[in-house]
Amino acid sequence: VKLRGTIVFLIGVLAALGAGWAGFPRLIYQTHQQPVDFSHQAHADKAGAKCDDCHAFRADGTFAGVPTLDKCAGCHAAAMGSTVAEKNFIDRYVTPGREPQWLVYARQPENVYFSHITHIKRGNLKCERCHGNQGSSNALPPYQQDRISGYSRDIWGHAGRPAMTMDACVACHRQSHLEHSCLDCHK
Amino acid sequence: MRNSRRDIFKFAGGAVAGALFTPAPWRLITDTALWSENWPGIPRPARGEIRAKFTNCALCPAGCAVRARCVGEQPVSLAGVGGGLCPFGLTAHHLPYHPARLRQGPIGEATAAVGKHGKEAIAVLDLNPGRTVSWTYRRAMASVKGLYLAPESQPVAYDLPAAKTVLSIGAALLDGWGTPANVSAARRNFRLIQAEPTESRTAMLADEWIPIAPGGESAFAQSVPGLAFAKDLSVVIGDAPEIPEINRRIGAFGKTVFARPEAPVPDSWKGAAAVTALDDVPDHSIGVLLIDESSAVSYIPWHRIQRKLVRENPLVVTFAATRGGYARYAQYALPTAVYPEVSGDVAPAVDCVHPAFRISVPLVAPVVTGVANPADFVAALAGLPATDSLRERADAIHKTGKGVVVTYADGKETPVKDLAADAFWKSLNAGAAWTWADAAPRPPAAGRSTVHPAEALESAADLPLVAIGGPQTPGLVSPLMTKLYQESNLRLAPNRVALHPDDARAAKLANGAHATLQTLTGKCAVEVTIDPAVPPGAVQVGSSPGIQDVCGPAARAKVVRA
Repeated sequence: VKLRGTIVFLIGVLAALGAGWAGFPRLIYQTHQQPVDFSHQAHADKAGAKCDDCHAFRADGTFAGVPTLDKCAGCHAAAMGSTVAEKNFIDRYVTPGREPQWLVYARQPENVYFSHITHIKRGNLKCERCHGNQGSSNALPPYQQDRISGYSRDIWGHAGRPAMTMDACVACHRQSHLEHSCLDCHK
Repeated sequence: MRNSRRDIFKFAGGAVAGALFTPAPWRLITDTALWSENWPGIPRPARGEIRAKFTNCALCPAGCAVRARCVGEQPVSLAGVGGGLCPFGLTAHHLPYHPARLRQGPIGEATAAVGKHGKEAIAVLDLNPGRTVSWTYRRAMASVKGLYLAPESQPVAYDLPAAKTVLSIGAALLDGWGTPANVSAARRNFRLIQAEPTESRTAMLADEWIPIAPGGESAFAQSVPGLAFAKDLSVVIGDAPEIPEINRRIGAFGKTVFARPEAPVPDSWKGAAAVTALDDVPDHSIGVLLIDESSAVSYIPWHRIQRKLVRENPLVVTFAATRGGYARYAQYALPTAVYPEVSGDVAPAVDCVHPAFRISVPLVAPVVTGVANPADFVAALAGLPATDSLRERADAIHKTGKGVVVTYADGKETPVKDLAADAFWKSLNAGAAWTWADAAPRPPAAGRSTVHPAEALESAADLPLVAIGGPQTPGLVSPLMTKLYQESNLRLAPNRVALHPDDARAAKLANGAHATLQTLTGKCAVEVTIDPAVPPGAVQVGSSPGIQDVCGPAARAKVVRA
């Protein structure tokens, strides 16, 4: 009877471990596709574009983030190639003048402040340090949104790509001896 | 094999134990916390392009240059340009959302009521004179033969950089009296003697503090010519009625005291009604009084205004941002736009002896719809054509070709003569300031003080305390700022009075007690702060309109439990 009880208990443990490690991550995230089938690699290889050609700093040092349609339409007012992705982009967004609703993997919670220019210009960090190989990828990864918090998986934890998590920020700051206070990053 | 209830509990226990070694419970805690940050009703900061806008603060005539950090179209923080901002200015972008703001009023009814009363015996009381809108009132009143009333008829300006020794009798010289950046810059070049009953912030920062008896400002002013340092004085600043005469006698007129300069106006405006001081108006002669307290920088006790109104059926219409001022007495209180959602110029500053013209450029779209525009209301009443008077005045300034335009974004000065009229107007609407530093300042007219002497002290034997004025507070202050300064006791709240511990004990009042302030004029509900820095026998009073209505400077008073 005692052995049977232990087995039942262990079955419970295993069931929870399985559900927690395998089932829970699948349940908690909702997957969304980006509005445009975008290839960083095509832009880097064919157009020779660098990160800051599109993700630029403004004159006052603020980061423009994801480029707006104006920037894209500067080159893609008419088709430059023959891909379906480009044709769809022009038909759905450029011609009607509609901004694509990009899903930003790195969008942080409201209580976090992040300065790109400080990290790039003063910290001399490469884009890849936080964004991984995004700049050379051929397709945008699916955007995984936490069903409860509403934030991207990328700012929470391991997602098979460099995570822009608080732990990652703290580790890097600690390594660089720049771990000053909560208010460095938190509003 | 049959599962028992015990098996179910063991399985559940195992599941709970196992779950603790998975990310699930910990994630749920974090996610729930993050989810709770985004509940409906919780304010969320705007997202968008971050950029800077420039404007000029319209909370007081200092008109400090402001750099607003905006996210999209929403200002999220304000900072001074080339100098600091006062705490009220720093949080002014909260004001359009102030919960005490007046949000609706019967504009149509008020217009009809004024029309019914007729335009005879009409007057406009402007509590922030010297602006372009003030000229609109003056032109309108000239057109209907009405009166344009202002707290001072001949305001003066002080040239602090030209002063070597400054005697301040009760003026908060280093605490909001003038333009903070200008006063701070000039401060290192003059010796400051502060005479007042309490060791205020200005007294603490002065070179010398002379404690005087509460209510003794006038007596001290009269004794100034006989004091040892009198021969060194460059200027005397304060509200005592004797001060203009002392300044004249020490030769300050034309050296450190000048007529308050105004920017040029179009020639067609020069037939506007003169500025009349309220005291010069015969009693019971005003039938319709329109009060612009939308950006008031001073307050006239209501009993002094009431005395000027006709006895039978006077009509009072006030344009106000809150119900706290004259709205309590007016038949019609009409809501107005507030800084920084309204476009208007800033009146000349008390410490600027050269003409200047600065537009307070709106930073946010009007938050309250259906507000009244006092200038349009008065102009329509007088039948003035609807024109853009700010633009007309800017064109008149441009026509002179004098002075320079200072643009804050790049810190450049451009002579007006090098700019086209449209470019000049565009600069002003981007928050630039026009100044004419080469203009020769004019000595002031031999005016008289408009400050009212205290009530006869001997007539109030049962009023044991003497009132000391507290720091002035704008009519509308960000709730965040009031919370900070009131809870930290950094500044006396407008509805508070401060008493010495002995006086509080005698009146059986505890700190924070609700009480009644009584004077010869009337009484008012207040809250009590016990402060050992207040001299015994005195009561320091806040600057709320309710207190000012009953308690002028040096008035006899008593504070009793409510």
